[in-house]
Amino acid sequence: MKKTILNSRHKNLDAKLVDFAGWEMPINYPAGIIKESSFVRESCGMFDVSHMGRVEVSGKNAKSFIEKILPIDVNSLQIGSAKYTLLINEKKEILDDLIIYKISEDKYLLVINASNTDEDLEWITKVNDGVTINNTTSYTSMIAVQGPEALDKINFLSNNSIKDLGRYKYKEIKLQKYSIFAARTGYTGEDGVEIICDNNDAENIWDLLIENKIEACGLGARDLLRIEAGLHLYGHEINKDSNPIDIGLSRLLESKSKHYINHDYINGEDIKNGTESLAGLVMLDRGIAREGNEIYIDNKIIGYITSGTHSPRIKSAIAIGKIEKDYNNIQNTVKIKVREKFLEAKIVKLPFYRRKRK
Amino acid sequence: MSEIPKNLKYSKDHEWVEINDNVATVGITLHAAESLGDIVYVDVNSIDKNLNQFDKFGEIESVKAVSDLYIPISGKVIEINEALLNNPEFVNEDCYDKGWIIKLEINDKKDLDELLDSEEYEKII
Repeated sequence: MKKTILNSRHKNLDAKLVDFAGWEMPINYPAGIIKESSFVRESCGMFDVSHMGRVEVSGKNAKSFIEKILPIDVNSLQIGSAKYTLLINEKKEILDDLIIYKISEDKYLLVINASNTDEDLEWITKVNDGVTINNTTSYTSMIAVQGPEALDKINFLSNNSIKDLGRYKYKEIKLQKYSIFAARTGYTGEDGVEIICDNNDAENIWDLLIENKIEACGLGARDLLRIEAGLHLYGHEINKDSNPIDIGLSRLLESKSKHYINHDYINGEDIKNGTESLAGLVMLDRGIAREGNEIYIDNKIIGYITSGTHSPRIKSAIAIGKIEKDYNNIQNTVKIKVREKFLEAKIVKLPFYRRKRK
Repeated sequence: MSEIPKNLKYSKDHEWVEINDNVATVGITLHAAESLGDIVYVDVNSIDKNLNQFDKFGEIESVKAVSDLYIPISGKVIEINEALLNNPEFVNEDCYDKGWIIKLEINDKKDLDELLDSEEYEKII
């Protein structure tokens, strides 16, 4: 199994380690998933996300290459800014969801899912026309610092370097003596900063953050937080054959460019004729609906669960399901088949949780 | 590592049992609680039922997973820890005391021979 540079830190903290997409990663520390999720909602937590793929695309054709492979409006993406987007191949298959950062006119950084890194790279390399593709995953580390106190903590440690940093912007700053890439992005529904640093500094930065009372949180809490925030996870809400509009991501299909590989697909009519949609579900009976569980109305299967967990904020089990559009009405009651039992749930608007903005 | 009380008996399915005359108190071990993680539901649907040794008597669910609960000794379920139904975190906080799950009237103490003592249990975890 692959290990991140911070692996020994997780072991020292007595984390429970699991295989995540071929990486040995902490699912939780002794505090447990629920407490860790509350650190992030109430103060500040951090996650080792070094397993995520980091790929630089550079060269004088970089901008036109990005225009070719991503559905973003490449002209509206400024240097120092980031965008959430989808990687869709020429067969209209969604290979991944990712964040793209514009570093300069001829350099971009893609942060992609660990589980998709190989396939993404294979396809990007296949359609490459004259850019340099550099997988920096193995020599950089990534730590997501998340929560209402995250920005203050990073400002405190960086001489207020990100005081004016907007959402989905990044800056290269000094965190004490360490050079880091600090992006105001995240995957928890809270404000926060994602740090990318050189492997040589990763353990020192982790220790510095621990000293500053930022709590280590595992991937279990991260999953709980992203479900509460209604955020998609590839392999769950997003699959190869998903229709981006059906899964609520039509806003990502910005490109009008004829150079985009899927110009005809995303600007055509067929994409609008999907029949599915994502629904938020709050369990009324006791029990957590899990991925794959069938969802029923009047003894008819209308869909299945894509993600489920227990929410300390909602104080109930919650789930996201993919169901037929016609049934996706708020307050509709459904039955979910969970281990041979039918549990009642009601459809609610996503997300389950929205942070209070300052 | 998990501490294993010496006065209890254990099943291979990670339940513990404490015997007081002909009443047995049953819960899950610290090892089981730690591997499940944060418990969010404990459900027992076997009150007043006579169960054979190792029959299912309920379910325990954590954020991560759900597990069946098996009775370590045959008998009739006479009491459920009602406080636990609303405070399932008791299992994580103190699985050997306030995290107990059911009490039962023992049918046959010979069932105890099928269980492990603390040293034997420690070897399987």
